[in-house]
Amino acid sequence: MFRRSVLDVNRRTFIKSLLATLLLSVSQKAFPRPFFTSPVKVNHLRPPGAVPEEIFPAKCIRCGRCAEICPYRSIKILDVRYGVFAGTPLIEVEKIPCYLCMKCVEICPTGTLRPVAQDEVRMGVAVINHRQCVTWLGIALCRTCYNVCPFKEKAIHLDQLRPVVDEKYCTGCGLCTHGCPVNPKAINIEPVYSFEKHV
Amino acid sequence: MFNKYGKIRLLVQFLAFLVILVNPFLIFYWHFDFVQGWYQSLGVGNLWFVSPLEGLESILVSKTIYLPLLIGMLIPILVALFLGRVFCGWICPINFLCELEDRFLRLWGVKKRRDLIRLPRATLWFALVGDITLAMILGAPLFVFLSPPGLVGREIMMAVFFHTLALEGVVIIGVLVLNLFTRRFFCRYFCPLGGLLAFLGQRRRLRVVQEKEKCQRCGLCVRACPLGLSPQEGESQSSYCWNCGECIDSCRFESLSFQWVQGSGGAKR
Repeated sequence: MFRRSVLDVNRRTFIKSLLATLLLSVSQKAFPRPFFTSPVKVNHLRPPGAVPEEIFPAKCIRCGRCAEICPYRSIKILDVRYGVFAGTPLIEVEKIPCYLCMKCVEICPTGTLRPVAQDEVRMGVAVINHRQCVTWLGIALCRTCYNVCPFKEKAIHLDQLRPVVDEKYCTGCGLCTHGCPVNPKAINIEPVYSFEKHV
Repeated sequence: MFNKYGKIRLLVQFLAFLVILVNPFLIFYWHFDFVQGWYQSLGVGNLWFVSPLEGLESILVSKTIYLPLLIGMLIPILVALFLGRVFCGWICPINFLCELEDRFLRLWGVKKRRDLIRLPRATLWFALVGDITLAMILGAPLFVFLSPPGLVGREIMMAVFFHTLALEGVVIIGVLVLNLFTRRFFCRYFCPLGGLLAFLGQRRRLRVVQEKEKCQRCGLCVRACPLGLSPQEGESQSSYCWNCGECIDSCRFESLSFQWVQGSGGAKR
């Protein structure tokens, strides 16, 4: 006896399901994130002085002047796939960190990037992963993050030759993440201030 | 007298386009950042311009007021109050591209063009109100991201800075294609920025005024108007007119001219 198949699928349903799978996968590729989800996450930060994520997309007029004036090209502009966050600026500190030149803050026309002083910038907080950091693991004596930190001895100091972050002074500029030689990075910027409640 | 304003306007449009075309190169390759931005927000040294619609949406949606933003909006708003929609006609890069498209078509021998799709002119107001309402509901200024006047600048910047074109650039192509069917279709009916500037310019001082005695009702100005208005019926006085001066150039009898209208009289004549 010759049975048609275990799963009784005719051609139409087969093509339909094929198309559906294709469309779904393509749309997931093209639109990797939901419409209203913030693109800010670990090592993906807003430029200095940014208002909380809650009102960031409302305030920013997507003029792109911050990206244009950034001399290090740290700031990139998100495209249409990021939903309501499209057109807003983002810094990926793993690629190019923020050197805190404060130029973008000075020219933002909407106050989305608030005029703050260099040491008042709070883009996030550097967090050391003690299970990744070779110094903390005792494998090697690396202190790259300490060396590159613009607020050395304040934001990062050495405690028995091991780096320690003080969140009171850390600006979250990401120079340490950028410099960290370990892969995956042993020091990462958590954007804790971006999700504070807006007052 | 022939084509007087047309030539000046093309020059102004070209220079305005040159600003957003050349500037990203200057910044990217030579770090000459005296001028930044495009026609959403333009910074010239310490002088900032902010497009009124963008600024208004930012204020309405975030429900906060930032003084430098208001000051940046001041000059564009004053220009719109006194001169009307001149930004659209004389500066806007998407209008410049449409203008170039028109001129290429004329070179190719497409002489007469009918407006194939016509909507009620008041659609413009619905676009404006709808855009602002939608932005306030969504909590993000929508048009500021997809607005063709700003989009041209952003695409050029993206091309120079990141060597890619952003996906949203298809809007520009859409507007240019629609321009084939009806001249300035998007500008006429759907541009919220144009709508806001038209709203502000309702009592503008600079107007295209018609001398009724000289008019022979030949209809040349009606054909010339990129917005499909008929100046010979006095529609250049309506809030939709963007003071481009095409009708003045087209008039053989010098019946139309730019005039500085005193007071708020003649808003609806």
